[in-house]
Amino acid sequence: MIVEYIAATLILIGSIIGFISAIGILKFPDVYTRAHAATKSSTLAVLLTLSGAFIYFWLTEGYFSVRLILGIVFIFITAPVAGHLIIRAAYRSGVPLDQSTVEDELAEVFTHDEALRNKEED
Amino acid sequence: MLHLMLTVALIFFTLTIGIGLFRIIRGPSTPDRVVALDMIGVNLLSAIATVSVLFTTQVFLEAILILGLLAFISTIALSKFIDRGVIVEYKRDR
Amino acid sequence: MPAQFLVNIFIAFLWVLLMDEDRFYFSTFVVGYSIGILIVFLMHRFFGQRFYLRRFVATVKLIIVFISELFQSSYFVLKYILRPGYDMKPGIFKYETILEGEWEVSALALLLTLTPGSVVMEVTPEGNTFYIHAMDLVASKQNLIISLGKFEKAIMGVTR
Repeated sequence: MIVEYIAATLILIGSIIGFISAIGILKFPDVYTRAHAATKSSTLAVLLTLSGAFIYFWLTEGYFSVRLILGIVFIFITAPVAGHLIIRAAYRSGVPLDQSTVEDELAEVFTHDEALRNKEED
Repeated sequence: MLHLMLTVALIFFTLTIGIGLFRIIRGPSTPDRVVALDMIGVNLLSAIATVSVLFTTQVFLEAILILGLLAFISTIALSKFIDRGVIVEYKRDR
Repeated sequence: MPAQFLVNIFIAFLWVLLMDEDRFYFSTFVVGYSIGILIVFLMHRFFGQRFYLRRFVATVKLIIVFISELFQSSYFVLKYILRPGYDMKPGIFKYETILEGEWEVSALALLLTLTPGSVVMEVTPEGNTFYIHAMDLVASKQNLIISLGKFEKAIMGVTR
């Protein structure tokens, strides 16, 4: 009986963390900071929820579900990679940084990259 | 008590998906929408896992893997499209 | 390094065959594997490289570092979200690394994305400079540079 409550607590904590990260997506002013919130805390929320479901099925029904472990490992590896790719694509396609940005060391290097890429496509 | 906790968790996941939908409609640029789409996919995974714990059945667990794969691949394809304009490039002289 | 592992498995199978039981018991295999570890450890100088279990232990430590950084980064982001008002100063800065090769640079980039408050933005074509976007540059630049040094040491413990 106590095991069911542990699993349900893990799922509840996961859902609260996911909800707070959604508030973060509403609140932040810039694409780059929104992607910070969406990839880091959403990954943790999903990991906690899937672990809660895995513990529930293992200790209550006696069913060792390999699919949930596969899902956990897959999300753990791929969600940060997706976040990195979308931030890089956003910078290259020219989405402006927010006004409260302090320094930008990429701006002077970037024009050189873009000129190189335009020359390569011709 | 168990039923109540799981139902509250499911309500939180639904609200998160609703906020993501708001960001998709509102977002001033395309990468905003892609980020919100990734978050919707990931929270849909958790909602399916919660529903399968509520019904104590294991038939929904394959859907979790497939949805995770689809969300990741669509995020990568959209990022490559925003970046370059094509998804699969034709390399002429490598 | 794979040679040491294969020799170890071979010794374990030899032990199972020598024990002459009526079925393949897994516990006998484990006993044979531990005897194999002892033999390979006593003779590892003939293989010319380090003892392979050290690399295995370093990999396990790296995975534990990954998981603890995930928890810390989520805590950091949540603390910033729940603070009323908005007073962050994001920024992009540059970092030169001493790792080389594909595996090491990819592992460091993944670990950086899971660190509190920073996301890797670009990697130069030479492959040893990162441009990192941090969520609060003023408060966490020093911490980031210190943690980056620790990560590089942990990754080099696995591959070198």
